[in-house]
Amino acid sequence: MTALIALDKVTFSYDGDPKNPHPALKDVSLQFHEGEFAVILGANGSGKTTLARHLNGLLIPTQGQVTVTNLDTRDRSCHGIIRQRVGMVFQHPEDQIVATTVEEDVAFGPENLGLPPSEIRQRVDAAIEAVGLEAHRHRPPHMLSAGQMQRLALAGVLAMRPRVVVFDEATTMLDPAGRRMALALMSELRAAGMAVLFVTHNMEEAALADRAVVLSNGSVVFDGTPRELFRKQSLEDWGLEPPPVVELGGQLRHVFPHLPEDLLTVEELLGSLPSPQRPCEPPEYISDGGADQQEREWVIEVQELNHTYMLGTPLAHLALQNASLQVAAGRAHALVGVTGSGKSTLLQHLNGILRPQAGKVRVGPYQLDDPAVSTRQVIRLAGLVMQNPESQFFEQFVGDEIAYGPRQLGCDEPLVSRVRWAMEQVGLDFLAFKDRFTDTLSGGEKRKVALASILAIKPRILLLDEPTAGLDPRSRKEVLLTLRRMVNEGMEIVLSSHQMEDVAILAHDLTAFRKGRNALQGMAADVFWQFEAVRELGLEPPVAALVAARLRTLGWGVPSRVITAELLLDHLERCVEVQGEPV
Amino acid sequence: MSQFEFLRSVPFGQYLPVGSILHRLDPRARMVAFTIIILALTFSRSLMGLLIGCAVVLVGLRVGKIPYRFAFQGLLPPLPFLFLLAILQIFLNASPPNESILAVIGPVRITLSDLAAGAKLLIRFTGLILGIGLATYTISTGEMTQGLNVMFRPLAKMGLPAQDLVMMAQVTLRFLPLLAQTAERIAKSQASRGADWDSRPGNLIARVRQVIPVIVPLFLSSLHRAENMALAMDARAYGSSVQRTSLVELRLKAADGLLLGISFLAGAAILILK
Repeated sequence: MTALIALDKVTFSYDGDPKNPHPALKDVSLQFHEGEFAVILGANGSGKTTLARHLNGLLIPTQGQVTVTNLDTRDRSCHGIIRQRVGMVFQHPEDQIVATTVEEDVAFGPENLGLPPSEIRQRVDAAIEAVGLEAHRHRPPHMLSAGQMQRLALAGVLAMRPRVVVFDEATTMLDPAGRRMALALMSELRAAGMAVLFVTHNMEEAALADRAVVLSNGSVVFDGTPRELFRKQSLEDWGLEPPPVVELGGQLRHVFPHLPEDLLTVEELLGSLPSPQRPCEPPEYISDGGADQQEREWVIEVQELNHTYMLGTPLAHLALQNASLQVAAGRAHALVGVTGSGKSTLLQHLNGILRPQAGKVRVGPYQLDDPAVSTRQVIRLAGLVMQNPESQFFEQFVGDEIAYGPRQLGCDEPLVSRVRWAMEQVGLDFLAFKDRFTDTLSGGEKRKVALASILAIKPRILLLDEPTAGLDPRSRKEVLLTLRRMVNEGMEIVLSSHQMEDVAILAHDLTAFRKGRNALQGMAADVFWQFEAVRELGLEPPVAALVAARLRTLGWGVPSRVITAELLLDHLERCVEVQGEPV
Repeated sequence: MSQFEFLRSVPFGQYLPVGSILHRLDPRARMVAFTIIILALTFSRSLMGLLIGCAVVLVGLRVGKIPYRFAFQGLLPPLPFLFLLAILQIFLNASPPNESILAVIGPVRITLSDLAAGAKLLIRFTGLILGIGLATYTISTGEMTQGLNVMFRPLAKMGLPAQDLVMMAQVTLRFLPLLAQTAERIAKSQASRGADWDSRPGNLIARVRQVIPVIVPLFLSSLHRAENMALAMDARAYGSSVQRTSLVELRLKAADGLLLGISFLAGAAILILK
């Protein structure tokens, strides 16, 4: 079988110098075939995006050769055909949409190919139908959700009738529902005979592919099946983490030594859990002090909050409807729900940058519907870290960036000691980092600087909008550990997240939203154990909870309401002592 | 209303896809028709003509299913300014010497034609603002580029890069709402870090310092976006074929002819009737 795309000893450096000691790609030889589903994995900066851009001639190798269906990408006259055959969907949904309506954007590629209008019409209709955007064909793209925009980008590629579609981190900006949709579309593409190459650092998604290629520092360090990959000890050296299922499977093997080593999906794991020798009636869970709800002090109270964007124009849309929320002193509260369910809008009400249009919001002593309460008073009490905060950096040096808040709002101690304190809180060494350029930091470091720049105001309450979104596995883990420590120290935190595994680790309480309304509310453990209700909201319960539920039906004495791997293993070890080795 | 809703104040891309008869006509016909009415309103010198012009625009809004309330909102911000201009017009108008004087304020004698001049100014600008609004609400930027593409074709034959120019215009228009959204996000984020938008420092340096936290990230993110957009366009084979084609083939129909006819007549009426 001849290769669809062949890379032959490709070396690439951005300065075009073949002798550059640290090229972005180093001597990469790979072949991709018709109908294949491969993932390209690697930490940030490993060269995976650079590799992807070689596949359709957006980048030309400094040394070596890339051929697409035997056409050399060096030959510019072939670029039209190469780009027709190799479609590409990019990371940022809104940056790849050219036209001002859905339909015209899908037509952009075929128009560039110079096809006759009747042919374009046919292809546009077919592509829009394939991604399910029929209802939106005349809408302007900035009115679509991120998931819809990504589907639109795919439609634009499909209209060119490609042989292979490259997804360059195309799911990073999507919520779980959007990701599922994208993955479903990928398998449809494969069914239609197209090859799918998927650049990602999400390991759960990688598990679905037939083949995994791992890049580290510009070189291919692994090429095989995901099953083989996740057993590798060197995964961590490459800046990758096994998916939660595989990780939990590995931890469970300490208790259940006979558990197979190559478990890849939740179903496989649940299916291979053993029964105990002496089954028992599993106990109900132990409360974490949630019963004495009446005695709690509420630091934040939101009652029947409504918010409509673009109020009074024909473009008005409702973001919150009768939303209610209570945050108790010393506890972390998570907001979950699909994109557009109102999480960000609610968070922005909690530090006063949005004021209630209807309903009541109280943050500490401040009633936010009172115009006499100034926003600057509220932000001192409740600090908000917005989504992708590093895109809002404007200072050159880390220290100045962090000092901006206290400089604006005043500070009762020397600025330097405040900045030092904030950096220590997030685990950044003051001397090592204060004079670093902000744009030379890694993704995780940038996120920590953003966090420190809010902490430097010394707010009592911390509001976090998707604190781990868009980070690679290693950075994500670092940021999670930092947040975990703050939660343990009793800081009030309200966070929104799409990552239920993160929520399970960080939050005591949880509110789930659907279309701007409260859908589920209560202690995180209670809510997550309503498996059906959680799934119905487009979310997936944490793996540890699913495993605990399954163990209970097998007769293990694991209490209900367990949602973290830590707690699960703790209980399980005791169970094994009492109930005997697994059979 | 929030001080952060910048998108609200972006007049472009305010296309309202309400699907009226007007929306379905040929974009070229609409562009020419609106141009005629707007030019006629600009140059008409008679009160009667201006009133007819306003009436035509109001009918246009109704036919285009644009709510009057929404359309008139666009009038509110410049209204104080317009009144000021109208009053100036009343005072500065040079009236014919033999006209009867209605009132005397200080050294200024106010005549009927002075008042008419002020009224004309008010009506002219009302008509113009509503007319330009009508055009932006009913012509999508996509349709505009389609129309321009076809109308510029003769220029392309003369060797001008007409299609690239139209593409540039299209991408710019597509970016404006995004830019507003980004600015909104940045402003909110910096406000959360203590940036003070409410006070207005007197001296220039303090003012510049105030906007830097928004301008710098906005500029950087725009550059990133432009880079991403260029890549995405390249990846979809932009510029790889000599002759781009278009999804929409424009053909003038009877209704388009009717619109053009009506607009010519209305334009003539606005200019000629006394």
